[in-house]
Amino acid sequence: MTLPILPTTVVGSYSMPSWLERLKTEYFARRISRQELDEIHDTVVKAAIKDQEIAGLDIITDGELRRDNMIDYFIERLPGVQIDRGSKKFYYDFYDSEVVGKIPMASLGLAADFRFLRENTERETKICITGPHSLTKRIRNKFYPSEEALATDIARVLNLELKDLVKAGAKFIQIDEPYYSGFPEDLSWGVGVLNTLVEGVEARIALHVCYGNRYGKPSWAGSYQYLFPRILDAKVQQLSLEFARRGGEDLELFRKFPAPFELGVGVIDVKTEDIETPDIVAARIRKAAQVIPPERMLVLPDCGLFHLPRNVAFAKLRAMVQGAKIVRQELGR
Amino acid sequence: MILHLNHTRRDSAVPATSEVVGTLLSLLEEGQLDAAQFARLQIHLDWIQYRQNFREAVTVMRAPEDRDGTALPLEIRIDGRQVAPGSLREPVQRALSPATAERRAGQDRLYLEEFCSFRKSIAWEFNRLYWYRLKEWEQATGREYEQALPGGQSDGHNPQAISDTVADFWTLLKDMESRKQLPEEIFVLEMGVGMGTRAGLWLDRFLDLDHERSTNFYPRLRFLLGDYSLTTLERSRPAVRMHLDLCSFIALDALDPIRTLSFLRHKILHVHASNMYDNLPDEEIVRRDGRIYWVQVRAYLPVADVARIAQLCEVPAAEVAKTVTRLLDVGPECLADASQGAKFWQEVWASLRLEERIVNLEDLRESPFPAELSSSQLEEILRNAPSDLRFHLSSGALESFRNTLPLLHPRGYLQVQDIFVTDLNEYSMGFHGPGKLEGSIVNWVNGTLLREVAERAGYDVHFAPFHYRPGSRTSVLYTTQRE
Repeated sequence: MTLPILPTTVVGSYSMPSWLERLKTEYFARRISRQELDEIHDTVVKAAIKDQEIAGLDIITDGELRRDNMIDYFIERLPGVQIDRGSKKFYYDFYDSEVVGKIPMASLGLAADFRFLRENTERETKICITGPHSLTKRIRNKFYPSEEALATDIARVLNLELKDLVKAGAKFIQIDEPYYSGFPEDLSWGVGVLNTLVEGVEARIALHVCYGNRYGKPSWAGSYQYLFPRILDAKVQQLSLEFARRGGEDLELFRKFPAPFELGVGVIDVKTEDIETPDIVAARIRKAAQVIPPERMLVLPDCGLFHLPRNVAFAKLRAMVQGAKIVRQELGR
Repeated sequence: MILHLNHTRRDSAVPATSEVVGTLLSLLEEGQLDAAQFARLQIHLDWIQYRQNFREAVTVMRAPEDRDGTALPLEIRIDGRQVAPGSLREPVQRALSPATAERRAGQDRLYLEEFCSFRKSIAWEFNRLYWYRLKEWEQATGREYEQALPGGQSDGHNPQAISDTVADFWTLLKDMESRKQLPEEIFVLEMGVGMGTRAGLWLDRFLDLDHERSTNFYPRLRFLLGDYSLTTLERSRPAVRMHLDLCSFIALDALDPIRTLSFLRHKILHVHASNMYDNLPDEEIVRRDGRIYWVQVRAYLPVADVARIAQLCEVPAAEVAKTVTRLLDVGPECLADASQGAKFWQEVWASLRLEERIVNLEDLRESPFPAELSSSQLEEILRNAPSDLRFHLSSGALESFRNTLPLLHPRGYLQVQDIFVTDLNEYSMGFHGPGKLEGSIVNWVNGTLLREVAERAGYDVHFAPFHYRPGSRTSVLYTTQRE
């Protein structure tokens, strides 16, 4: 399938309905069964896919609605990570987790999620996984000599997972590493770990770095200046960054450091329920186009839509798609 | 019958309790109270903390007829402070009479509104009027607001407490600077500044500390003073006169600070408020027999007071209700002689009472919960709470809190000094408002609900008792980032 210029997509997650939050919490309180929750998840994922299609997105995800949060979905599947299952009061809380021995190689089973997505849409698809740096920051390390060593072993396990995803047909994979922004000093080894993660993975790899979206608010502040020049060594094809909420000042970095990547430009502020107009979106795309050719640009929200009400998330996506169309028309494409 | 003795004073509890029990038993024996009514009767005998409040000595709270004919909750609340020895029988008898409510209409009470949620009651319009026309009130009473506070001054002005909070803030700035995270402009917001005393002391101390430690943070400070109106804010200007270059005075809706300050979303490093949440519109909820009831109120003036006020302020008795409406519209100018209008204001406020009834939540047409709190969340919170409970929803405080959090920088924090209930069990142990403080309303704030709302918004909330003044009832709420 050929994508248009300025293809539109989500960063990963779609709106989490409050009723689903309650049901997930009911599951943790053992008031509904795993089978019931799985059926509920299948239903809401189908709905999220349909909403993205109706909004007009070019690349679709499963909305990540099976996930409690961006960390636990992975660490509860990572072999060798011990989890305190009683540590959650609300489904969205993080588990307390620790690693006390070497992490063995094993499958996480994410390909099943991808296959479900693939079976339910004709559009291009994307699957997103949380990167080893961010996972490492949430696991108490009681075995490895350093965070880098732990992250490297996680990357090796996830590398097999990415290859499984490619076997299942995944062509577009996104790695989420928001914790880079909280720990910029880690970037010196973080990029090496990232390269271990993607080594030999025959897919288009995107790296998403934002300033956090936990509870729908930023976890850190600052400038993307810290990414450069180290990030230029990352063996990825696309870098996805947030620009809508923070303004476009950091776009100038791409003038200073011509990057070998495509740029996923965040044009939708996911931390406010105010809905952008297509004109605002178009203006943000034009601004980015001053430093990155439109042919190397993707259009997406700043981060996941998880915390926004469904009607707001949907309206924002529609505005984003229409804004991209305006610029495509201007470009005659 | 269940008798709850709440927060009673030792010296008044024994005779009052004996009198309550004796009165009810004699009414039962005389047949003036039937056995079924007696069986489900709940009596709350409180020693009311606020001498000025909205209750008569004996207040009855009824529930309207239930659809399935289930026994209705009935509750009598007795203010131990207002009860004179030997005076209970008549008001209790009157409270128990089924015809009481109907008989009172137009007879011994002048109603000023229909039953409504407390938050929508005109009591809050009086509160608003007080803050907008504080100067006139103070002139009329010859007493400033702070003189009415316990101890004659606000705990928020304690110099040592301020010095410690400045030191904490400085430590945060220093840490951010060492991590190269300190923004060029350091935004601080003080909400409900009043006379500006705390803001002035805080800035003085910050400047001194900055000089002592040669950090040069002070010139980067942007200090925002927020309050009801520019007129109110004008009163705070002298207190910060040495720091005017970095102060901005902003008329702010305490319920919705982000609306005014949206340009500072995620940018403010420290937000502080003292004695503000206790003065925001509130509602109350009752849980009884496994059901949730909403407390509705109806403001009234006792007819005896109406006659007295009419004579004192030279207003025809039949015109008192209309004059109250005008007062709330235009202030003391409701009467040709504004000083007479101010007197009318004070007298009406002193006499203002609230009649109560409870309504089954299922019978309300629309969900009355504020956007910050869903009914399912409340159910979850109440799971481990006492089964028989009346508590504040603190909806105004919740709204203000939720609309302040988005202003915080990722490293920023909110501090609120107020009177908090931090455990729902405390509601079983005493009366926590509303009371009257000068012309304003004072209410304890439900910290348990704030904690819950904060958790869902990504913050942990902690309460530290205010240890700088022995006997202080205030505590300090502060937020930390929730992982």
